[in-house]
Amino acid sequence: MKTKHYKLLTFFVLLFILGISANAEDLRKIVSLSGYWKFSIGDDTKWASPSFDDSGWDQLTVPGAWEQQGYNDYNGYAWYRKSFRMKEIPSNTNLYLLLGRIDDADEVYLNGKLVGKSGKFPPEFKTAYDKDRRYIVPADLLKEDGENVISVKVYDAYLSGGITDGPTGIYIDADNELLDLNLSGKWKFHTGTDKTWKSADFNDNNWSEINVPSVWENQGYEDLDGYAWYRLEFKLPQSFTTGELYLSLGKIDDIDDVYLNGQYVGNVYDLKKPAFSRGSGWEYNTRRIYKIKEGLLNRNGVNTLAVRVYDQQGLGGIYEGPIGIMSAENSRIYRSKHHNDQNRYTSFWEYMYDKFFGNDDLNNE
Amino acid sequence: MCASEDNLVLLKSLEGKWLFSIGLNEEWISPKFNDSNWESIKVPSPWEDEGFNGYNGYAFYRKTINISSNYKDRMLYLNMGYIDDVDEVYLNGNKIGSTGSFPPNYSTAYNAERIYYIPAEYINFDGSNLIAVKVYDSEGEGGITSGDIGLYSGKTSANLDINLQSTWRFQPGDDPRRKESDFDDSEWSEIFVPGKWEDQGYRDYDGYAWYRKSFVFKTTADNEKMVLLMGKIDDIDQVFINGTFVGSTGEFPKNGGSQANTGQEWESFRGYYIPDGLLKKNQKNVIAVRVLDTGGDGGIYEGPVGLITQTKYIEYWRKIKKEGNE
Repeated sequence: MKTKHYKLLTFFVLLFILGISANAEDLRKIVSLSGYWKFSIGDDTKWASPSFDDSGWDQLTVPGAWEQQGYNDYNGYAWYRKSFRMKEIPSNTNLYLLLGRIDDADEVYLNGKLVGKSGKFPPEFKTAYDKDRRYIVPADLLKEDGENVISVKVYDAYLSGGITDGPTGIYIDADNELLDLNLSGKWKFHTGTDKTWKSADFNDNNWSEINVPSVWENQGYEDLDGYAWYRLEFKLPQSFTTGELYLSLGKIDDIDDVYLNGQYVGNVYDLKKPAFSRGSGWEYNTRRIYKIKEGLLNRNGVNTLAVRVYDQQGLGGIYEGPIGIMSAENSRIYRSKHHNDQNRYTSFWEYMYDKFFGNDDLNNE
Repeated sequence: MCASEDNLVLLKSLEGKWLFSIGLNEEWISPKFNDSNWESIKVPSPWEDEGFNGYNGYAFYRKTINISSNYKDRMLYLNMGYIDDVDEVYLNGNKIGSTGSFPPNYSTAYNAERIYYIPAEYINFDGSNLIAVKVYDSEGEGGITSGDIGLYSGKTSANLDINLQSTWRFQPGDDPRRKESDFDDSEWSEIFVPGKWEDQGYRDYDGYAWYRKSFVFKTTADNEKMVLLMGKIDDIDQVFINGTFVGSTGEFPKNGGSQANTGQEWESFRGYYIPDGLLKKNQKNVIAVRVLDTGGDGGIYEGPVGLITQTKYIEYWRKIKKEGNE
C-alpha cells in the first residue's frame, strides 16, 4: 500500500511540475540574438545610436554574465550592441524582443529609440535581475532592407552582471494570427481610478501612452501597484466579419473591469473559472476572452475600449496577448489551443482537490 | 589580509641590510637626508636581536632601491611584513601606508602584515627610490620582525588620473551632514586609504564611519566622463562628491539602524560613474564616504582608489580581460 501511494504521489508531483513548466504562450522565434554581441563597459548616450562605430569594441557571448567572460569583479555600467537583418517583417502580429534576464537594470534601444526598460539606474537604483525581459518592438522601427541595431545599456550593482541567461531573440506571438482585428500597440494610460474614465466621450488626450501588451513596470511605472486605466479608440475595418464577436485581452495582472463604448463588458470573475481551480493568484494567469453583446460595437464609427486594472503587487498591467477582436470560430480555436494551460493548476493541492472533488467540465463559460 | 595579495608576484626581495636609527625626526622621511653614517641592520628581525636589546620607542629604517620601468603598467606593492607595533611607510617622501596608531592614541598592529600599494606617480622608474619606514615599539620585541619583505607586482595598473590613495579624514559614527562639501572635518582623525580601520587605531570597531577627502581636480580633458574607483570596502558604502550622491554598494538599514543584511558586498570592486558636471575643474572637490561595517574588518581596505577617465577605465578592463585569457 505504502509503495502504491508513494508512486501515485510522485506521479502527481511530476504532473504538476510538467504543468507549470509548459510555455503558455505560442511564441515563435523569428530572429535569434544569442551569440556574440559587441560590448563595452562605461556609459555614453551616443552608444544608443545605430550609426555609432562599435568596431573597436570587445565581444561577449549572450547570454552569459560578464564575470565569466573576462570582466570578473566589474560592477557598474556597460553597453551591449548587436546588429541584425530581417528579410521580412511579419504584419498583423506583435513582435517581441526577448533578452532573457538582465542583472541588474537595463534600457533597450532599437535603431536609437527606447523600446523598454527594467529596474532603475542610480541614484534611485533598483534591481530587476530576476525579471524576464520582454519588450514590444514597434514594427515601424524595424528596417526591412538593411541593418537593425539593438543597444542595451546595463547597470550592475555587484555580483553577476549583464545579459545573464534566458531566451534572446525577436519573437512573434502566433496567437495573433487568430485575431480578426489586432488592437495591440499604443494605448492611453493613467494611474489611479475615476468613474468617469470608462465613458466613451471622456477626453483622454493628456494621458500618457503605453504599449499593450507589456507589464507597466518596464515602461516607466516601476513602483506602481493599485489602480490604473487603459483606453483605446479604434474603428472596425470595412466589411468586418459579421456574426458573434469576442474581445480578447490576453492576460492581465491582476484584476480587470472592461468597458466598451461606456458599457460594462466583463471582468475576470465573470469568466466562471471553477472556484477550485482558482487558488491564489489565478487572476493574473487567466486568459480574458469576453463575448461582445450584439449591437454594442459601432460598425461604422469610433469605438472606445476602457479597461480598469487593479494590481495587488509585483508586476502589473495588460501584459500578454493576444489583444483584439476574434470571430466566434477563431475564439473557439484559441480556447481549445490553450485548453490545458487555461486550466493549469496553481498548486499541487488544487490539482488533488480537483481530481477527487471537482467536476470534469472545466471549460464552461 | 587583503584579496589583492592573492596574485602578487615577487619582483625583488628587500630582505637583508637596511640603514637604521633610533629616534624620531621627520627629516628622515626625505630622500635628501644623508643617512651615510647610520648603522646597518638586518631585516626582517626584531631589533632586540640586532644590538638594540631593551630599546622601546621610535626608530627609522631606510633603504634605496631601483625600480625598472618594465613594471610601469603593473600595480606595484611593497610588502614590509610584520612590524612591531606601529609604522608609517614612505616612498621618496610620499606616504604609501600606515598600520597601527602612534601615541598619543597608541594602538598596536604587530600581528598585521603590511602590504602597501605604491602609486606609480611616486616612483622614479629606472632610478633610485628611497623607502623610509617610521616605527614605534611600545614594549617587548620591536621593528620589522618577520615576513616576506619585498617589492611585488599585482594586476595591470589602473593608470589613475588622480590618485586618492593617501591620508583621509575619518570619524566613526553617522550623520547625514557629513556628506556636505562645507562640513567642517578639521577635528577628525587621519586615516590612510586603503587600509582597514582595525589596523589604524580602531580595533574591534563595527558600525558606521565616514571618510572625507578634498582634492583639486586638475584636468585638461574636455568634459570627459570620470569614474571614481573606491576599490573594496568592508561592508557597504555610499559615496558623495560635493554633497551629491554618486554611488552605493549594498543596502543600508532604514532609519540609521546598524543591522544590515550584508553578504558579498565587502569583496565587490567599486567603480562609480560620476554624473556629468559634478566635478569642479581645477578647483577643490570633496569626497565623502559613508561606510557601515557589520562585523569583522571594516573600511576602505583595498585600492585602487582615485579618479580615472572613462576611456582609460575601458582600456584598463580590456587589459585585465586580456591577461585573464593569457
